[in-house]
Parts: sequence; C-alpha cells; structure tokens
Amino acid sequence: MSVNQANASVHDKTDIQLSVRNLCVDYITSNGDVRAVSNVSFDIGRGEVFGLAGESGCGKSTVAFSVCRLHKPPAFISGGEIIFNGRDILKFDDEQLREYRWKESAMVFQSAMNSLNPVLTLEEQFCDVLLAHTNMTRQECIKRAGQLLEVVDIHPSRLSDYPHQFSGGMRQRLVIAIALALNAKLIIMDEPTTALDVVVQREILQKIYQLKEEFGFSILFITHDISLMVEFCDRIGIMYAGELAEVAPAKNILTKPNHPYTEGLGNAFPPLHGEKKRLVGIPGTPLNLFEVPVGCRFQARCPYVKDICRKEYCKLTEVAPGEFSACHLHKDGIVDIIALEKQPVQG
Amino acid sequence: MGFILRRLVFYFGAFLVAVVINFFLPRMMPGDPVDAMLAQGARFTAEQIANLRLTFGVDQPLYQQFFTYLGDVFTLELGHSTFFSNMPVSEVLANAFGWTLFLTGTATILAFMFGATLGIVAAWYRGGKFDSIASPLSLVLQATPQLVFGIVVLFSLGVTWDLIPISYAYDPELTPDFTSWEFLKNVLLHAVGPIFCIFIVQLGGFLVPMRNNMINLLNEDYITMGKAKGLSNIRVMLNYGARNAILPSVTALSMALGFVVGGALVVEVIFNYQGLGSVLFNAIVNRDYQLIQGQLLIMTVFMLAFNFLADVLYVFLDPRLRKGGK
Ligand SMILES: Nc1ncnc2c1ncn2[C@@H]1O[C@H](COP(=O)(O)OP(=O)(O)OP(=O)(O)O)[C@@H](O)[C@H]1O
Ligand code: SF4
Ligand SMILES: [Mg+2]
Repeated sequence: MSVNQANASVHDKTDIQLSVRNLCVDYITSNGDVRAVSNVSFDIGRGEVFGLAGESGCGKSTVAFSVCRLHKPPAFISGGEIIFNGRDILKFDDEQLREYRWKESAMVFQSAMNSLNPVLTLEEQFCDVLLAHTNMTRQECIKRAGQLLEVVDIHPSRLSDYPHQFSGGMRQRLVIAIALALNAKLIIMDEPTTALDVVVQREILQKIYQLKEEFGFSILFITHDISLMVEFCDRIGIMYAGELAEVAPAKNILTKPNHPYTEGLGNAFPPLHGEKKRLVGIPGTPLNLFEVPVGCRFQARCPYVKDICRKEYCKLTEVAPGEFSACHLHKDGIVDIIALEKQPVQG
Repeated sequence: MGFILRRLVFYFGAFLVAVVINFFLPRMMPGDPVDAMLAQGARFTAEQIANLRLTFGVDQPLYQQFFTYLGDVFTLELGHSTFFSNMPVSEVLANAFGWTLFLTGTATILAFMFGATLGIVAAWYRGGKFDSIASPLSLVLQATPQLVFGIVVLFSLGVTWDLIPISYAYDPELTPDFTSWEFLKNVLLHAVGPIFCIFIVQLGGFLVPMRNNMINLLNEDYITMGKAKGLSNIRVMLNYGARNAILPSVTALSMALGFVVGGALVVEVIFNYQGLGSVLFNAIVNRDYQLIQGQLLIMTVFMLAFNFLADVLYVFLDPRLRKGGK
C-alpha cells in the first residue's frame, strides 16, 4: 500500500464513515480545464468532526459538494472514489443517489441563509424531505418537524411561517434543523456561520456540537477561520490550491504545524488563548490554477523553499503517527517548522 | 388590505386618464364619419350632410362633445354606431364580445400553459436537444407577424387542403344554438385556424421568459438544497424551480388576458371572424367615433382589471409580499 493510499486516517477500517480517495474535480472553462481539487484523500471516522481549512478558492466547497455529488456543471469529478459506509457513491445510479442524499449525508450550505425555498412554508420544507425518505404520515412529519425546531430553540408554532419571516441566524438554525431531520450519519457544514456575528456563531456551533454528542453523527466542517476550527474539530485538513497540504489532529495545527502553509495560516489568525503573537499574513497571492508549477504548489510563497521544491512534487506523507504533510522539509528530518523561523534553511 | 385599496385608487386614476385619451385618439384621425361615408361613394346633398353631422353630434364643438362623452361613460351610455346602421354601441360590442373572448382567451391560456411548461422543461435540460431547438424557434415565432401565420394557415389548411373553414365563426346557414353538439362542433372547427395563429405567436412570449427566469433560478441555493434533500427531480423542478420562476409569468398572463378584448385584429380580419377585432377594424375605417370609444373603453377596463388581478395574484403567490403590504 502506497503512503498516499495509507491515507490521512487514524481510524481502523470499521470505524470509518467517509473515505475520500484521490478525489479530482475539474472545472471546464473557456481557457481549458482547471483542476480545482487534486488528489485529495482523507477519512472521517464515525462521530468525528473533520475540518477543512484554507484560503478562499482553495477548493473546500468543491470537495463538500462532491461528497453529495451536488457539484454543478461546469464542475465534474475526474477521478477518485468517495466511499461512504463502504460503498462508492460515485458509482450510485440516480435512485441510489437520491436515497443517499440527506438520509446518509446532509448538508448545511455556505449560504444557509438563502438555502430555504422562499415560497414554501417551513412545514412544507420539513415534510417534503421526511416524506421522500420515510414512511411517516403527514401528521407524524409535522410532529417531527416541531420537535426539530425545538432542538434549535425555535418555537414549533412557527412551522407555518415562510423563510423571510425569520432572521438570518434563525434561518441558519432552521437549515441545521432540517439537516437533522433524518438522523444523517454525516453532516457537511460549509461555513455554516460565516454570515453571523461572533456571539451567535459560537452559540450555533456549541449547539451543533451538543447535538453531535447526542446523536453521534460525523461532521465535515469547513471554514477559513482557523482558530474556530481548532476549537471545534478533532482533526483538520489544510488545503492549498486544490491539494491537501497537511492533515493532523486539531490541537497540533497551531502549535506544531507540519507544513509551512499551515504555519502561515496559523500566523494570520490571532490565537484565542495564550500570548498574542505578531500577526503575519502569508505573503503573495493564492496560486492561479492555470499556472500550476512543477514541484510544490506553495513554492512561490514558501519562506523555506529549496531547489527540490521546484523540481519534485511532494505527496501527502505520514510524518508522525496520525500526522500527514506534503512538504519536502520532512525528508530532511525537520520536524519543527516553527523553529525554522529563527534559522532559515539554505536553498 | 391597504395594499389592495392603494392599487384600486391607482387604477381608478389610470382609468380616468385612459378615458380622456380614448376620446381624443379617434378624433385625431383625419376626417369624420360623414367624410368616411362620402369616401365610400355615398351621395348626399349638402343638407343631408348637415343633418347627418347633427345626428352624429360631430358638428358640436369638441369640448361640448367631450363633456357629453364623459357623462355617457359614467352612465354607461355608449351611444350609437354610425356604421352598424345606428345600432346601440353596447349591442354591437356585446355581439362580438363572446366570440373574441373565446378566440383570444382560449389561445392565450393555451399559449401560457404550453409556453410555461415547455419553458420549464427547456430550462431544466438547458443546452439539451429540446432546449436548443425550442428556445430559438419560439423567438422566431414570436417575432413573426400574425399576418404571416394567418395567411399561411388560411391558404394551406383552409384553401389548399380544405381542412378548416376559411371564414366566419360558424356556418351562416346554421342557427346559433349553444346546446346543440352539431353547432358547437362547427364553432370549434371554425376556431381552429384563428386560435392556432394567435397561439403560436404568443407561445414564445411565455416560453422564453419562463425559461430564462428558471435558468437564473436554478443557480439559487435553495434549488441545490432541494436536490441535496434527495427529493425527486420532478419535485425540485416544480416545487423549488417552477413555483418560484412562474411568479413573473403570472403577471404576464394576466396582462395578456387584459389584451384579449382588443381582439386579434389581424387574425379576425383575415378569417372574417365576427369578434371585437373586426368591429374595431370597421369602426376605424368608417370613423365610427362612438363605436371606437366604446371598444377602447372595454379594452381599458379589461386591461386595468387584469392588471389589478395580476397584483393580487402576485401577492397571493409570493409570501414575501403578503405581510407588510409593500
Ligand atoms: N463555476 C466555476 N467555473 C470555474 N471555476 C470555478 C467555478 N467554481 C469554482 N471554481 C474554481 O474552483 C476553485 C475552488 O472553489 P471553491 O468554491 O471550492 O473554493 P472554496 O475553498 O470553497 O472558497 P471559499 O472559502 O471562498 O468558499 C476556485 O479556484 C474557483 O476559481
Ligand atoms: S515543499 Fe518546499 S516549497 Fe513546498 S512547502 Fe515544503 S518547503 Fe515550502
Ligand atoms: Mg466555499
């Protein structure tokens, strides 16, 4: 088994909910195809919260949509496998796919505010999904919908209201309530709280965490707010320009980054606890996917870039138990990237 | 309710303006009813002419005619036709009204049903075979004058293949009897040609906007969410897509229905159909002021009524407008 396939997982096989293998997603554009997601592999265990972080445009949402096969043209999945409970969803026919969606893996969209149908009442939007996947009667569906509303602290009497009658934060919670409707085993949350203020954001995330503890589903959590993510996730994958740069337990991401990009990301956000560090962004701009260089994709912005980085591609490799990184530095036995800051390596 | 009241006030204002325009518009055409008679070869003495002008009321100063007219409008007294041998205008219009309503109304509703449905399908499978044929084609149909369809249908189906009658709303030998199946069949057969001509021109008017609307909408997040929920395609297409995309089309339908009583002038004249279009055509040619006024008046009332209906329907269909009364 190659290292790449050994994959970024700390779980034994039976405990894996979702396993993404070498996923490639391309966008067809007038200038040719761009590969927005390139050879991405990660596992999510049952009950685990797995985070995907990275700059805007690095491909997080594209991964999320692919996991439900909801990517829209011009996107298409050009390679890889998405194994959910042992079955490759990329091989599903239309009916299998329909059954899989929401029942197995539900999704809270990046713009949850706009993901409720404006002309249907909430009751309708709860009932349609319940009726599509269960044998419940309409009465039972309405009852269940009421219970779900209570879970997110909204009064069941509001079931007959339309989405525009709720505030942004409430709409977000409504979508989360709908996501819980079928006890899905995986809930994908693509920046579920970005539109909200910090206090509401935390409240909602705590609520989600509490529900996760209660119902035991797994979460794929996407955000570019690293500090929020570290608090909330078990393990984190850091994406850069469509690739996974690093996968590691959440607690290590800020304190012991295994990839220079992770270190840069960590520096770009103020730590929640502990001493205040000088905030340094990552110099340079994200990679233009039309100009992917030979070697490491981060080379133009990496402070530690070496000759080999410009010549040789570096796969995601296990550098310590449960920690994966795609960086040539590790070949030299360098483990502590933060220490490098003080004594830059010679190119 | 405040909303409806405000709209009503607005439409009443619009009605007043239209009533004024309806009076001056026919009188801006050169000549008067007597000139029109003379032009068609009638021979009168100078005295007869003066008498005719007196009976038609066209010898009075314009402002006086105008106030008589205003009074008439609000007492629903529409005057007499000069062209249809002095028949009351209301009678002339009433005779034609039903035929036009049947002809144009049927065509418009059919065009809406087919246009909206095909537009939804074209958008859902955009870029597919159906879309790439139907959408450009309906643009072409929409841009083609009714005259062209009228003549083509008349000569191909009517004359060359003799499949449909080429004139009248029913065979003149038959006595109208709306309880007899024979008569109704005859009416339907006579309506096929004109209905088809009006239908085909209107079809694109519903198909293209519906399709474009729906395509814009398909990028909305709630559509993706509908799919993500594992609902059937047809449910997402109808309940999530069409249900939202149809809102503007309902307004368009209502407006189109408002135009219905204007009749399909060209088609009615080509098929010699005794609807309001034909009446208006004759009234204009003969400078039959009262008749033109009467016809314009019902058109105005219908337009405004259906616009109002569109407003109310829109509020009914779009929950976002229901509260707050915007
Ligand atoms: N319709 C499209 N056509 C072409 N390229 C696209 C299209 N949609 C997305 N992309 C490209 O795919 C890449 C990944 O986009 P994606 O939306 O997955 O980013 P993201 O990580 O979710 O960003 P954000 O944090 O801003 O949500 C981007 O570089 C973007 O330019
Ligand atoms: S491979 Fe080289 S360029 Fe890429 S991150 Fe590591 S050190 Fe930097
Ligand atoms: Mg995104």
